[in-house]
Amino acid sequence: MPSSSTDDSPRSDRDSAFTATALPHLSTIARVATALTGDAADTEDLVQETFLRAYRHWHTFQPGSDCKSWLATICRHTFAELRRRENRSVAVDDQELESLAAARVHSTARAKGVDDMFARLDLGPAIAKAIRALEPHYRDVVLLVDVDGFSYEEVASSLEIPVGTVRSRLYRARRHLQEALLDFAIDAGYASPSYTLPPNHPGERRNA
Amino acid sequence: MPDRAECEAVVRQLWPFIDGVVSETQREFIVDHLEQCEPCNSHFDFARAFLEAVHEARPHFHVGQGLNERVMAALAGAGYRA
Ligand SMILES: [Zn+2]
Repeated sequence: MPSSSTDDSPRSDRDSAFTATALPHLSTIARVATALTGDAADTEDLVQETFLRAYRHWHTFQPGSDCKSWLATICRHTFAELRRRENRSVAVDDQELESLAAARVHSTARAKGVDDMFARLDLGPAIAKAIRALEPHYRDVVLLVDVDGFSYEEVASSLEIPVGTVRSRLYRARRHLQEALLDFAIDAGYASPSYTLPPNHPGERRNA
Repeated sequence: MPDRAECEAVVRQLWPFIDGVVSETQREFIVDHLEQCEPCNSHFDFARAFLEAVHEARPHFHVGQGLNERVMAALAGAGYRA
């Protein structure tokens, strides 16, 4: 909202030009925004942001040129930017959900009596098999980070993907692996809530 | 015993914490929490044991002899002498 107390002549010119030239395209831009977002609430946000930016950058508008196209361009750029921002926050949230999933796998493992499976069993062959079964995107990242010990950044630059993508894939891969190993331990007959492992028998195999 | 909301906030950072990519403030907060909260601590221990097992599976991923020979042959062709 322009403040009336600071109204001076240039400000008024700008406001009246904006009112006469930009605002009449509001409905058109709303249709552009609807086409982009496909969602009523998002459309309103996008239209609002588009006109705010247009107003702030009004000095870059060439008088006499096509204002509708100029606004539509701002609208598209704004949409792309908002979407990028949204994807980023979704990605971060996704990573946190993978962390929660890891805790859930642990709870299941405990309920099934296999929460000490990493100490108790030689899971090497099962881990290798589970990693090979991953989709290549996941497999490569988990091999490089968890097996070979590269940093997120090193993997990001060698695979030419963003660090956030490395993390998302890595955490997802870990979840798949944990679930596969849990299934393996249960299927192999180690699961038994009532079964208590004799002490000092870490490699003991016992089938149900 | 810390409350559930705090536990959830801590567990959400499980992988980043274990990988050492959280901020110093977050790290201290999580360390404090884990000292007082056995359930969370056990989740983190389980995750660490998992990662250790994955790392120890490394010998299962040696490149095939075939690839090794191919690379060496190519290097030799380029003038490399072992
Ligand atoms: Zn806790």
